[in-house]
Amino acid sequence: MSTGAQYVVAAYGVILFGLLMYVVVLGLRTARLAREAELLARLAEREGDPDRPREPAATP
Amino acid sequence: MTEARPGRRLAVTGAATAALTALAVYGVFFVAPEDADQGIIQKIFYFHVAIAIGSLLAFAVACVYGIRYLRSRDERHDEISATSVGIGIGFAVLVVITGSIWAKASWGTWWVWTDPRLVTFLVVLLLYAAYFVLRSSAEGERRMRYSAIYSIAAFASVPLSFYSVRVARSFVHPVVLTSSGANMPNTMLVWFAVSQLAVIGAFLTIMQVELLQRRADKALRRIKLRLEAAA
Repeated sequence: MSTGAQYVVAAYGVILFGLLMYVVVLGLRTARLAREAELLARLAEREGDPDRPREPAATP
Repeated sequence: MTEARPGRRLAVTGAATAALTALAVYGVFFVAPEDADQGIIQKIFYFHVAIAIGSLLAFAVACVYGIRYLRSRDERHDEISATSVGIGIGFAVLVVITGSIWAKASWGTWWVWTDPRLVTFLVVLLLYAAYFVLRSSAEGERRMRYSAIYSIAAFASVPLSFYSVRVARSFVHPVVLTSSGANMPNTMLVWFAVSQLAVIGAFLTIMQVELLQRRADKALRRIKLRLEAAA
């Protein structure tokens, strides 16, 4: 590969690397959203459970 | 931008961007002629300049939505403005790195501090990087208002960068897009145009992905608050 071609590969490699890094960040953020959604789903299921022990109401 | 059928719109934009990118890469490397002066190194130009224009467009969008936020106080306008700044910064970082590689190949040095285009573009990048420092320093409505004002004020640096190379003609950075037209043959110009469309498509796709994520995040937060209140 000529020296010029190496620079071209390096430049386009940087763009590809940037794109891949963005995909990784996106994946991490999506994983966090999925975790939170699962947690909320569990909380909602527990709320809907009639056998769940209720916290005593606060006295004034 | 995220109102009706956002998933479908994202799929269409993403598919069109992928197709345009593939077409641009094919055109740039297999169809466009090699530059007589620079040879294969000139191939960096197609995406380097397209991404540079894309970053300046992103900052323009941030400015427009900053103004719209100040007029309407609509939170969605603030979200679009902040997302645009983020994308613009990402693009600008790519421009600086690819430009530096091109400089090393073409001029034999990674950076020329006396060139106004390089320095002013770096100034634009640093100015917009400060946007997120400011944004994280305030909360609620104040945060959105400060961000909007800053995105409008920082946009003043964009024409400075764009015209710097045109004013200071004695420096090393070439001017390709002039007021009398593009300074290149049509066989190159057509593939530059395709590359530019691909970059604009990438901007729109990333924008939609980011807004969808913010929307999902906010919805989850609302449910959490509701459940905590019910408990």
